Amino acid sequence: MATITEAAATRRQARPVRRRRVKAAPYLFVVPFVLVFAAFSAYPIFFALQLSFTNWHGAGVLEFIGFANYRYLLASPDFWQSMATSGALWLLVVPAQVLLALTIAVALRKARFRGLFSAALIAPFVTPLVAMAQVWIILFDQDFGAVNHGLASVGLPAIGWLTTSAGAKVTVALLVLWRTTGYAVILLMAGLSAIPSDVYEAARIDGASAWHQFWSITVPLVTRTLSFVVVIGTLTVFQLFAEPYVVTGGGPFNSTRTAGLHLYKHITNSDLGLGAANSMLLVVMVLALSLASIRLLRSREDS
Amino acid sequence: MKLGAVGRYTLLTIAGILSLAPLLWMMLSSLKPGGDIIARPFSFDFSQLTLHNFRAMLDTIPIGTGFRNTAIVVVIKGALTMIFCPMAGFAFAKYAFPGKRVLFATVLTTLMLPTLVLLIPLLLEMSQLGWVSTFQALILPGAIDAFGVFWMRQVIMAIPDELLDAARVDGAGELRIFASIVLPVIRPGLAALGVLTFINIYNDFVWPVVAVNDEQHQTLQVMLSALAQNIRSGQLGADWTSVWGQLLAASTVAAIPVLVVFIVLQRHLIKGVMAGSLKG
Repeated sequence: MATITEAAATRRQARPVRRRRVKAAPYLFVVPFVLVFAAFSAYPIFFALQLSFTNWHGAGVLEFIGFANYRYLLASPDFWQSMATSGALWLLVVPAQVLLALTIAVALRKARFRGLFSAALIAPFVTPLVAMAQVWIILFDQDFGAVNHGLASVGLPAIGWLTTSAGAKVTVALLVLWRTTGYAVILLMAGLSAIPSDVYEAARIDGASAWHQFWSITVPLVTRTLSFVVVIGTLTVFQLFAEPYVVTGGGPFNSTRTAGLHLYKHITNSDLGLGAANSMLLVVMVLALSLASIRLLRSREDS
Repeated sequence: MKLGAVGRYTLLTIAGILSLAPLLWMMLSSLKPGGDIIARPFSFDFSQLTLHNFRAMLDTIPIGTGFRNTAIVVVIKGALTMIFCPMAGFAFAKYAFPGKRVLFATVLTTLMLPTLVLLIPLLLEMSQLGWVSTFQALILPGAIDAFGVFWMRQVIMAIPDELLDAARVDGAGELRIFASIVLPVIRPGLAALGVLTFINIYNDFVWPVVAVNDEQHQTLQVMLSALAQNIRSGQLGADWTSVWGQLLAASTVAAIPVLVVFIVLQRHLIKGVMAGSLKG
């Protein structure tokens, strides 16, 4: 026993100082990240979990009230309306986005000027959201907007893009689609470029039609990327905040008050415990939806 | 799927035009007399172009302050991200150390969570620290973000260990190895991280609108949304010709820096987005 420790000690001595620095190095490298991560990501998440069981309004001691916030929210029509609004936006955005992005990515794969097209498609993604949301207000104004102006010039009636419940949802969905579809295209391009071209070669030799190639080669092989696109889309829609905040303010008649905006309402009302519970429910919802989407897509892959 | 060359290019051209049209419309309209934006939204008379909307906008909002605040946040938060994300990524990619697994699993888990969850607890944390409406509040939360660390880890894992060991044999310290071998090798990845970081911080809205209550610290985006809200609530009057012109001018000014960065560095951005799909 003693000899072992001795041997270990001599070995430690034999190794120069440099060796010890190697052991400390990874910690030193990782420490700035860990500090910021612990203080502004990990701690707040646990704090939110704790808060969600209190009726805190921003001051005083934490008073624990069990599951009361959760019970209240699950019985609250406002909460469910915000979830339904986000759900409706999800239906308006995600399927359309997947279809559009996949079609464009497939077209782009063999096109010339790929760089130019990609740049044009991704440009909306980099523009300041708030700036574009304002442009949307102006473009989609019922009386003076360019969109209705254009519709009128081809003899179509004016649409209440921002003044009707259905119109406002569509207007917000169009903004999301416009801003993020290019991003999805680029992601899918990356997925597509990973498919070896001899797979298509073989299919052509076997006489597979273009449609058949698309459906039985392209789609299954980009399933991973597709599920990634769906998950990102789900996260985006259920966290949607700035778009409805700027374009519609959540109206008309709360028709665009998304889950994200509803959460914000708790902050402005100082219902912080309730808000924390709401965010936890949002997490559960987003994770469930993401997992369900992945399941659905993967099951196609297996079949 | 073979769309046929004509179909393919028609589709791509339409998609490209739809992507760029709102941007071009915004910029061109901001240079038109206010009345024309409403009366003739699709015609551009180049002899009528004017900077009137920009002058009127400068009188309405202190957009210079917004730019200054955004610049401060972008520079400091961006620098923190660009230095410490690759550093942490290096540690995760190339060292074995106790606690690494647990730490990395935690990082991966938080990547899955919607960031909105942090809104309320972070706001409370800021008020406990007395940081509401300060630059610290705008800069520190979200700096050195977990996704950047994860991404840099993937990039650095591709560096062969032999390269690092050769430098160690030559007596280089670990920090030297990081600075003079790792960083230069991953320059393309760093460029992509840089563009994405710049765009994200510049466009960030949710956190700045919650964390800041006073005009001195408002970022450009928050200032813009305040302008839109004042207009909706009728505080700037109901003269749409003047109000819309100002809104378009402000939006154009806000979009220009990010579009310039985009045009210069778009290759890196596209590579960055593609690399992001590794996350899936």
